[in-house]
Amino acid sequence: MQDIKRVIEENNGKIVVEHDYFLLVEVSREHVRKLARALFEAGAYYSTGVGSDERPKNGFFAMYHILNHEESKKYIVLKVETPEHDLRIPSITPEIEGANWAEREAHDVLGIVFEGHPEPERLILPDDWPEGVYPLRKDFKYNEKVKPVRKEEKFVEREDALVLPLGPFHPTLHEPEYFEIYVDGETIVGARYKGFFVHRGLEKLAEGRLTIHQIPFVAERICGICGYTHMICYCQAVENAIGLEVPERAEYIRTLLLEIERIHSHILWFGVVYHLLGFDTGFMHAWRIREKVMDSAEILTGNRKTYGMSLVGGVRRDIDEDKKEKTLKALREVSQEMKNLFDDVLAMKEILNRIEDVGILPKDRARSIGVVGPVARGSGINTDVRKDHPYAAYKYLDFKVPVYNGCDVLSRYLVRADEIFESIYLIEQVLDQMPGGDIMVERFEVPEFSVGVGATEAPRGEDVHFVITHRGSKVYRWRPRAPTYNNLPSVPVMLEGEHLADAPAIIGSIDPCFSCTDHVTIVDDSTGKILFRGSLEDAIRRLKR
Amino acid sequence: MGRLRMLIDSLSHPRVTEKYPYEPIPIPEDFRGKPEIDPEKCIGCAACARVCPPNAITFRDDHEQGYRVLQVFLGRCIFCGRCQDSCPVGAIKLTKEFELVSLSKDDLYQVVKLELAKCVRCGKYTVPYRYIKYLMEKGPKILKYELLLCPECKSEVTTLIKYHYAQEVHE
Repeated sequence: MQDIKRVIEENNGKIVVEHDYFLLVEVSREHVRKLARALFEAGAYYSTGVGSDERPKNGFFAMYHILNHEESKKYIVLKVETPEHDLRIPSITPEIEGANWAEREAHDVLGIVFEGHPEPERLILPDDWPEGVYPLRKDFKYNEKVKPVRKEEKFVEREDALVLPLGPFHPTLHEPEYFEIYVDGETIVGARYKGFFVHRGLEKLAEGRLTIHQIPFVAERICGICGYTHMICYCQAVENAIGLEVPERAEYIRTLLLEIERIHSHILWFGVVYHLLGFDTGFMHAWRIREKVMDSAEILTGNRKTYGMSLVGGVRRDIDEDKKEKTLKALREVSQEMKNLFDDVLAMKEILNRIEDVGILPKDRARSIGVVGPVARGSGINTDVRKDHPYAAYKYLDFKVPVYNGCDVLSRYLVRADEIFESIYLIEQVLDQMPGGDIMVERFEVPEFSVGVGATEAPRGEDVHFVITHRGSKVYRWRPRAPTYNNLPSVPVMLEGEHLADAPAIIGSIDPCFSCTDHVTIVDDSTGKILFRGSLEDAIRRLKR
Repeated sequence: MGRLRMLIDSLSHPRVTEKYPYEPIPIPEDFRGKPEIDPEKCIGCAACARVCPPNAITFRDDHEQGYRVLQVFLGRCIFCGRCQDSCPVGAIKLTKEFELVSLSKDDLYQVVKLELAKCVRCGKYTVPYRYIKYLMEKGPKILKYELLLCPECKSEVTTLIKYHYAQEVHE
C-alpha cells in the first residue's frame, strides 16, 4: 500500500480521494505517461479508461485511466484534464497495450486526441457516423439524431495470405462481431478484429434520462447471460461514490445470486464449446444439467434471467427457508452430474487433442493486454476480483481461485470446470451463514460530482463500472466495461499459427458471448472471387474433405 | 469408458423437453408477468410513471377536458415490478400471465382515465380528485386547503398568509 503511494507521489501524481476501494489520482498531461509506466511496472494492469465532458463543472475534459493493483487491493484512477481549446492528451498505449481501445473510444465519443497512439482509428462508432460529432459531449442531446454519411468500405488485402472474413452478422443467437482471418493454406497467419456493431448508447441514455434507481435495470440488460453482475457492479459503484453501507443480509443475497449466475454461465459455455468441437452429445447433456440451475434461479428470484433483485442500497426481495432447501437440493444434483460429465468428456482423447496446446496466450502478453477472468487464470495469472477487491459477502467466505499454467484452451476449460464446484461450495456457505436483518437502505443523500468505481468478477472476468454522481439522483457519467472488452484483443494473439479448424474453439475459449457459427465468406485474394458462403462449420467440413 | 458412461447417461434420462404449449407449464410463485392496473383503485398519482425505467407507463394531463390519462404499454415493459413497489394504494400489480402475444398492438395498452379537480381559487385543473381524497385521508399532515389549490395559487396564498401572520406577530 505504502509502496504504491510512493510510486504515485514520486511520479508527480496527487492523491485526491482515498477510498477503501480505489484511489483517485490527479496527474498533469506531461506526467501521465511516466506515471502509467511506473504503475504498470509496480504490478498494476490496465482495467479500463473513461472519457468525460466536465465543461459544465469546470470547463475541462477529463480522461480517467483505471488501473487494477491487486497487491494493495485498490483500483487506481488516474485523472488527466485538458481544456476545451486544446484537446490533446499523451497516449499511454505505447506504455501499456491495454489502453488501446479505451483511448480510441474516448476519441470517438468525446473528440479527445491521444498523441502518439499507434492505431488512431475509429472503434465504437459506426462507419457512417459523421466526422466531428461527438455523442457523449454534454451539448449533444440524448435523443438527437444525426444524418449518416456514406463511406467506402475498406478491405485490407494481403499478398501472402488468403483473407477469410468471419462475421459480422448471424440472424439467430449470436452477437455480431467480425474477425478477418488471414490464412496460408490451413494455418492462420494473422487476424484483425472489428466489433461494436450493437453499440446501444446506454451511457448516453442513463446520463440523459434515467435516475439512479432506474439504471440498475438498464445495466442488467447489458448482457443476456451475466446481467446480474452488471447490476451489482453498477450498484457498488454508486454505493462507493456516496459512501453507503449495504446491510449484511443483502450482501449475502447478492453473493448467492452472483454465484448462481456464474454456474449457469459456465455450464452454458461448456455446452457451446462442445458444440463448436462438433460434440453435440456433450452440448445436450451440459444444457440439460444447466436447466436445474435456471430453475433454482427462478425459485429464488421469480425469473430465469434478469432477476431484477437489486437497487442501490441493497436487494429488493428476501429469500426464505423453503427456497434455500430447494436450491441446495438442485445444486447437489448439478454438482454430481457435472462431475460425471467432466470425467466422461476428458476421458475422450479426440476432445482433449482438439483443445490441448491450442490457442496459446503467453503470460506476459496476457498481462500487457490486460486480459481478465478465466482467460487470465488459464495463462497462469492469479487474478480474481472476489479475492483482490472483496465485495458483497466474499470477504466472509472461503474459496479457492483455480489457476492453470497451460496458456491454452484446455487451461481455460479446466479453470471454468473448477470454478463451478467452487461456486457450489460458496453457495452452500452463503445459505448456511446468511444473517438476518434488513435487506435495503431506503434513504440516502446523493452528493454532486462524487466519483465511484465498482467491480465484480463476472463469469467472463473482471467487470468494472465507473460512476460520477449528479444532483437530483442522477448520474453525470456512467461507464460500464464488460470483461469481453479486455479479452477480445487477445484473440488475434491466440489465433496466430493455429489451424483454421481450431479457430471456433479458440474464439469460443474466451467466452465472448457469441459462438462461431457466424457466416463466413472465403474470398480468393488474387481474383476477389467468392469461393464459398455459408456457416463456418460447413466451411471447415468442406476444407477437411 | 467415457463414451460408454455417456451412452448410459443418455438412455437413463427421459425426454426433458416440456410439452408446453400442449400442457400448461408450472410458474414459480414469485414470477413477474404482465402488470395489470386496477382503474377502480388507481388514484392517478403517477408514482409508477416516475419510477418506470423503460417509460412503459406514461401519463398525460388534458387541461382542456379535465382528465389525466395514465397508460401502460406492455410493448416496452421489462417486468421489473418497480411500479408495484411504488404504488401507494396497490392499484398496479404484476400478474403471472406471460402469454402476451397478440395480433393487434392495441391489446398491449391499458389506459386509466381520471377526472381532474379544479383549483378552488382560479378554476384551473390541478390533480385527480382521487389523489386529493387520498392525500386528505392518508397524506402527511399539511394544511388541507393547499390540496385544493393549483401550484401558483398555493404559493400566492401561502405568501399572503405568511405576510398576515408576520404582521400579526409584529403588532
